[in-house]
Amino acid sequence: MTARTFWVPVFSVGLFSLCTGCAHVAAYDRGRLARPMMTQDLEGPAAQHVLAVHEGATGGGSLSESGCGCN
Amino acid sequence: MQLKRKQSSLWPLLLLLSALVVAAPAMAGSDAEAPDRPSTDHADTQKKPSSRSPSDPNPLVDTATESAAIEMAAYDDTDHVTVFTPSIALGVENVNGGSLHANYLVDVVSAASVDIVSTASRRWQEVRHAGSLSGAYKPHDFGVEIGGSVSNEPDYLSWGGHALLTKDFDEKNWSLYLGYGFSRDTIGRCGGLNDGCTPFSVFSRDLLRNSIEGGADFVIDPASLGSLSADVVLESGDQSKPYRYVPMFSPEVAPTVAKGASVDWVNQNRNFERPLEQLPLSRRRYAITGRYARRIGSTTLRLEERLYDDSWGLAASSTDLRWVFEFGRRFALWPHGRFHVQKSVVFWKRAYVSGLGWDLPEYRTGDRELGPLWTVQGGLGVKWYVGHRENPEAWAFTLTGDEMYTAFLDDLYVKQRGAVLGSLGFEGQF
Repeated sequence: MTARTFWVPVFSVGLFSLCTGCAHVAAYDRGRLARPMMTQDLEGPAAQHVLAVHEGATGGGSLSESGCGCN
Repeated sequence: MQLKRKQSSLWPLLLLLSALVVAAPAMAGSDAEAPDRPSTDHADTQKKPSSRSPSDPNPLVDTATESAAIEMAAYDDTDHVTVFTPSIALGVENVNGGSLHANYLVDVVSAASVDIVSTASRRWQEVRHAGSLSGAYKPHDFGVEIGGSVSNEPDYLSWGGHALLTKDFDEKNWSLYLGYGFSRDTIGRCGGLNDGCTPFSVFSRDLLRNSIEGGADFVIDPASLGSLSADVVLESGDQSKPYRYVPMFSPEVAPTVAKGASVDWVNQNRNFERPLEQLPLSRRRYAITGRYARRIGSTTLRLEERLYDDSWGLAASSTDLRWVFEFGRRFALWPHGRFHVQKSVVFWKRAYVSGLGWDLPEYRTGDRELGPLWTVQGGLGVKWYVGHRENPEAWAFTLTGDEMYTAFLDDLYVKQRGAVLGSLGFEGQF
């Protein structure tokens, strides 16, 4: 079994479980979830670019393919 | 990467952006209750009155929230690569669900890495410009977004577009999204005898990229959020670097090539031929990313794990952790840790073997990011909210610093690399 044939069912089962298995939280009870630090992007564009260049596995977007300073 | 000599400096632009970062709060005026603190009279997100006369029974109301952010980042590593990256982002969001965002950044790269030294080339400098624009509309629980981006440097042009659909379920307790992206890169070449760039019409390679991403965001409990996504990227074209020459060795010498062998040793023991890098002409990338955020008291724990695999045989795991500590409503501080480990592509070799008569391996590379490696990263981030006391988070300074250490496990020239990355940003809503 290759990694891909392993990941597809794992991802599907995980996604289904997470979407259906979580408790229903009413809107008035989501105060803590609304804190900016829960979802705010704490990484600027430069940091994302550095990771895309440093990690051969991170790429895929156009940012990772140009301007890397890696000759 | 191009081998062009140093071009016109962008220092005036960098200085201007730095000055804006420092001067922005002062330009906002002062707060009567805290004279030493920047005023943010324009920072709250209340609906703004229109310019119509007060007697108008139906005054127009500006329901939009505008935002702006600037950042100056700097990177430096032990392989003599330095990058300065000023960037700016603008956005506007309306209560009817419409939004528009634009980003622009400049990379000023200066490099004299070992790869350059090994080819007897001089330090080079180049500038990359990148911009993007996107618009979204999500009036209720269904939304759509489209966008485009372009990146340009003397020997590389990239442009692309994307579309994204989102749908909320169960009173927004969970959401699904599905997106598609396309990009086209044109890879050229600069340098040579006249230090100029060869026109794309004379020499260029195209790289096409199609990507699909889908996933879900969900509320786990009143203190936790989660998300799970998968992305597939299909690349087609020759992405071999036109500057990267790969040393070849005889069958007798190849086994004796040590990890991190020096430039001098390699040049003394390699074969005469030194061909350009050649990578496979297509690549399929797969990744699964899980994110978890939990509110614990006045802190927020954020975890991310990304698993990656591709058709070149490169598999990797990236783990990212942030723990944000908030001190009152004005300060937040977070330690940051990251660990990345990957195995090499299947055609990776520290020492490639060539035979008589230009008999070369079909695929060959010297790109260390395609080899086996691990990277550990640690750092700190600080956010200082300087908005009005009713909404202090509307304006903020952000300062981050990270240090990275990479171990190259099966490479020529280097065994390790240290790097530092710092950034200073300022953002606001008005």
